[in-house]
Amino acid sequence: MFHAKKPSTMNSHDRPMCVQGDSGLVLTTDPKPRLRWTVELHERFVDAVTQLGGPDKATPKTIMRVMGVKGLTLYHLKSHLQKFRLGKQPHKEFNDHSVKDGDRATSLELQRNLASSSGMIGRNMNEMQMEVQRRLHEQLEVQRHLQLRIEAQGKYMQTILEKACQTLGGEENMALPARTFKGMGNQGGGIIPDISAAFKEFGTPPLSFSSFQDLNICGGQEQQLELHPQSSMGERSSSFESFLVGNNNNNTDHNLSLGKKRSSPYSNGGNANGKSPLMWSDDFRLQELGGPTTDLISRPNQDDIIQMAPLSMERSCNPELDSVSDIYESKPMLDEKKFDAKLERPSPRRAPQLSSLSAQGGRNSVFG
Amino acid sequence: MATMMVDDTIPDFDYYGGLTTPTTTTTTTTTTTTSSSDDDHDHGCTWNDWSPVVDWDAFSGGDNFQDLIESMIEGNNSSGGLNMNIPKSTTFYNSEDSVLMEESEESNNNQSEDVNGLKLVHLLMAAAEALTGVNKSRELARVILVRLKELASPNGSTNMERLAAHFTDALQALLDGAASGSLPKSMFSPNYKDEQQQGDVLAAFQLLQDISPFIKFGHFTANQAILEAVAHDRRVHIVDYDIMEGIQWASLMQALVSRKDGPPTPHLRITALSRSGSGRRSFGTVQETGRRLTAFAASSGQPFSFHHCRLDTDETFKPSALKLVRGEAIIINCMLHLPHFTYRASDSIASFLSGSKTLNPRLVTLVEEEVRPVGEEEGFVGRFMDTLHHYSALYDSLEAGFPLQSRARALVERVFLGPRITGSLARIYRTWGEDERCSWGEWLSAVGYRESNISFANHCQAKLLLGLFNDGYRVEEIGTNKLVLGWKSRRLLSASIWTTPDSDL
Repeated sequence: MFHAKKPSTMNSHDRPMCVQGDSGLVLTTDPKPRLRWTVELHERFVDAVTQLGGPDKATPKTIMRVMGVKGLTLYHLKSHLQKFRLGKQPHKEFNDHSVKDGDRATSLELQRNLASSSGMIGRNMNEMQMEVQRRLHEQLEVQRHLQLRIEAQGKYMQTILEKACQTLGGEENMALPARTFKGMGNQGGGIIPDISAAFKEFGTPPLSFSSFQDLNICGGQEQQLELHPQSSMGERSSSFESFLVGNNNNNTDHNLSLGKKRSSPYSNGGNANGKSPLMWSDDFRLQELGGPTTDLISRPNQDDIIQMAPLSMERSCNPELDSVSDIYESKPMLDEKKFDAKLERPSPRRAPQLSSLSAQGGRNSVFG
Repeated sequence: MATMMVDDTIPDFDYYGGLTTPTTTTTTTTTTTTSSSDDDHDHGCTWNDWSPVVDWDAFSGGDNFQDLIESMIEGNNSSGGLNMNIPKSTTFYNSEDSVLMEESEESNNNQSEDVNGLKLVHLLMAAAEALTGVNKSRELARVILVRLKELASPNGSTNMERLAAHFTDALQALLDGAASGSLPKSMFSPNYKDEQQQGDVLAAFQLLQDISPFIKFGHFTANQAILEAVAHDRRVHIVDYDIMEGIQWASLMQALVSRKDGPPTPHLRITALSRSGSGRRSFGTVQETGRRLTAFAASSGQPFSFHHCRLDTDETFKPSALKLVRGEAIIINCMLHLPHFTYRASDSIASFLSGSKTLNPRLVTLVEEEVRPVGEEEGFVGRFMDTLHHYSALYDSLEAGFPLQSRARALVERVFLGPRITGSLARIYRTWGEDERCSWGEWLSAVGYRESNISFANHCQAKLLLGLFNDGYRVEEIGTNKLVLGWKSRRLLSASIWTTPDSDL
């Protein structure tokens, strides 16, 4: 898509200098001033077009009227509208191009894809950026939803385990917090060591809740989808809080009510400070402090694995067995030592994800 | 005693392509018992980057398979040319210190581990062949299984060892069944009755969800498609073939409650089918699931009602038995092969999918395991080996994400995957002579459904989900209506969506 008139004085390498006029329009300073379609201007354009019923219904005249921007001529609008209309076409093609196995589309890739799909070659960067931004927004939405859905599964899992505790429980009929797994403690034989050992293996529980911070949840930030640690707990903490408290009162006591209100199991063994077995309580405390929980591990590759929504099985109730703090306790130092040692040995069989591993090397788990 | 001939060429294993013969081989005339599929398979990664091909000639000195077996059985008769020091497997790794030992000796042990693994594979293949091949010999199979049991333990430290142990047990059960004339029902569907086992199951289920994406992949892909299909509806009715513990619907409810466009939260009805036979009872009965879901819906603010449709013993599906409401959008949900599920009888599934058509559903969501179609000529052994590849990929995927948590993985393997392996082999054994079963997706096509499109958002969600786990997982979009989750080059689980021909989805 090319301009009807090509500015004769500009060659393709010149970057036009821009000035901002009184009307707020950004014009270039070369002899033939051209309008710069900035993001804001473009957004107003898009708004106007939507108001008018879409790019097919809108006309340059009506857009001009609706936008009400001084200095904006029909000519500007005509060409921009045309580009915009065409810009909506390669929707499908973009879709196909961006589908790559296992890839996480970065904005760079998206742009590359856009450039390569037919019909987009001549577009200027603005529109490509537009398209990319749109896609990124969509992906951010998907991320946000994914996180909420995973949380919902976790909550549901809690209800299963609560029930199980009650039904599998033996003689000691105490009111148990959801997170204890009573039944196991009373069975004999090799099972308890088996299961508690199984859970002990996790330094931090897998798929940490905090991993969602990495997912750039606080929308509106057009970052790439590479995982960046971020503190954006606002949204989620409320849903968790309400869940934890059971009813929707805004109990901001972040020491999980489950941990405090119910008694005995948590005073077992070493962890008598009433700290909830679940690592998220630390998480919430950090939120309270306002500190970004930045030390997050983005990938559950090695032992510092990410914790998921309610992780309930971390201990057995058997008082003789290890206390809460052992199971699912994070032993970052120890784990990372092993972890680093592993890094030094290239193991052809293991194909470790070295890039992310090295990134993880320096981080501590926030949980402990 | 029957002598078996085997191709002296050593098959290369790759996840998806099946057995192929490598190019460097000794030339001897033999009949191959397992045909090599040297067509255009994509030779993805060879198994664990295994080291040099074993030179069978050094072992057998001829084409006599019998000698080969005997030499393996004798074990320490490792011949020259091969660096196989094979101590007794049980003492090879001290299970307590397995992790540390692995680290310190890893570079040394890699080679022998690989060779060990290879040996196990060949023994398994030999046992399968002995059980069902042209020159069947139960005696030989028995002997091989004995040797396998010595070498492989379910608590072994390597994936291959644990995997081999489960397969050995399954083969043993087949052997016993073959001898007695029929396979025990327990092979097909495990039954966790006592409390201890139920505790195990729950623990393993929790772990399974945390360490692998399979369950979430199936559920979320289906749910996203459902959400898109009912975006403008006020009443939604889901007929769930196998609701199990019901966790799939938690996230759907969350999504319905928080949806922004379209009418406010629709009324959700779920009808769950239940069978009278045995099955996993550790998640409680269908009624308990119903109660749980009702409570969860209440706490989320989701208008909800739950119905229960009992199937007869022959499990034929009778759509007329369902209670329908005018104006509701009907969704058929069919989760089949998630790792913690039991296999359901083919007839039952067929009856359900066919019968569902009369309900004229808005959408059908199907999740099933993805198996490589195996040609008839490959027989039982071919399918056996394919199953071995499948579960090997599964085990590897668990290990790659959590290499140090071997006990956790062993629990999941013991509770879920082991019985699945047994069930899988039992079904193969029962049906390998018959016509090859098509996938359930193909069945849906045949019944008259047409493919519906997987949206960008759905695909994107799947990729993001996998990104939370491990790079080795990949999602492929097959056709327009199917997403397949795979590990490296092996496809494992597929989620597909279907609709009626006249719908505009």
